[in-house]
Amino acid sequence: MDNLFMTELSVSELTSLIKQTLEQGFYGLKVTGEISNFRPSSTGHWFFTLKDASCSISAVMFKGSTWKVDFTPQEGDKVTVTGGLDVYGARGTYQLKCDTMEKSGFGQILAMLEMRKRHYASLGYFDEKTKKAIPKLPLRVGVVTSPTGAALQDILNILERRAPSLDVLVLPATVQGEGAASSIANRIQQANNLLLCDVLIVGRGGGSIEDLLPFSEESVIEAIHASEIPVVSAVGHEIDWALSDFVADLRAPTPSAAAELVSQGYLDYRNQVANLHVQLQRSIENRLLLAESKVRRFDTKAMGMRINSIISAKEYLLANAGNSLVIAQKQLLKSYAGRLELAIRELQALSPLAILARGYAVVHNQEGKLVASRMQAEPGSLLTLTFTDGSRKALVKE
Amino acid sequence: MSFETDISRIEEITQKLNASDTSLEESIALFEEGMRLAKALEKTLAEAKRSVEIVLGDDPREAEITPLQ
Repeated sequence: MDNLFMTELSVSELTSLIKQTLEQGFYGLKVTGEISNFRPSSTGHWFFTLKDASCSISAVMFKGSTWKVDFTPQEGDKVTVTGGLDVYGARGTYQLKCDTMEKSGFGQILAMLEMRKRHYASLGYFDEKTKKAIPKLPLRVGVVTSPTGAALQDILNILERRAPSLDVLVLPATVQGEGAASSIANRIQQANNLLLCDVLIVGRGGGSIEDLLPFSEESVIEAIHASEIPVVSAVGHEIDWALSDFVADLRAPTPSAAAELVSQGYLDYRNQVANLHVQLQRSIENRLLLAESKVRRFDTKAMGMRINSIISAKEYLLANAGNSLVIAQKQLLKSYAGRLELAIRELQALSPLAILARGYAVVHNQEGKLVASRMQAEPGSLLTLTFTDGSRKALVKE
Repeated sequence: MSFETDISRIEEITQKLNASDTSLEESIALFEEGMRLAKALEKTLAEAKRSVEIVLGDDPREAEITPLQ
């Protein structure tokens, strides 16, 4: 360098020296300024100017770095970039080549939140064992949020669809800016003082990290920690977070998800009851089928056939029995007839009439007594002689 | 009476209905009881009878509550 003053340099040589000096001397910088003249190129690089009250510097962020930035810079955004100086020899200009970019103050906020998080973690505020269970079937869900926000509408819609019998109580709160934290904390305390509900959703829709800050404030953390009512924290979008997420009994990625979580029990029961309903019907159908198959054996046609077969068997027996009776009776009569004939014949043999027919007569006295000796027939008495064909009176002479 | 006990009762009824030693008469009585419970539960769970209200005022010791418009 000593002989730089003695040397005659070409523009390129000078530029090269400047480039070396600037690029090797100014690297690993962290620069804060306001975005101005932001010009994203069609190829994905960002060209802009960083300025403050009195100075400005050209800046570039190449495509390989811009994708890591989670916001698109707007005119006037205060940002902090890291990078180094870059000399563009063809135009003799220098610019700040940026590797990272974040909104100014973001780092401090993150660091503050991280510190606060560690503090409360050390106090045991985030311990799993202190978490209260979310009631399976809450009767009234309290919602601490902005009464005009989209988050509330999302929550109401989802609850109406999934648990139409679940009451909702809105505890309106300011959810960003001045006074938001105390507004949120007050509502949590109010719900607890008056036991207004049996589960609380505390949250809001998405926003910048600053917008979500009230949910990381001490007063809100303390209120959630002290809450007897189980609290579901539902702050921002899925990628967002707040310290309320850690201290709450349950973290929901979004307000909609919180509504789904508190109504899950109702939905489960609805599904379970619907299933049981179907099972009941199937069971009774099976039971009835079984009964029907048992009864079918006794249907009228089969019964008729069985009874007919019984009757015809009996009828056959009856017909047979009738026949036998007639035969028996005839035989009985026949035997009586034989005996009668015999008796008649015997009778006839003994009949006095048969003797009379042979010329004998029967003699009775007037008293009707049989006269079987001459002593009984006094002379002069009147006797009756009975012949085979009638009788005559006779007078005894001697 | 709670959802839990009602649901357990329906489950118990379903089991009895599936058991072979339950008489037909008993089965029908059980089925009717189960259906009555299931329908009542379905009605309770699906009926749109919720109230949506909002707290007025900021005093944490008292709350005036009014239906949300």
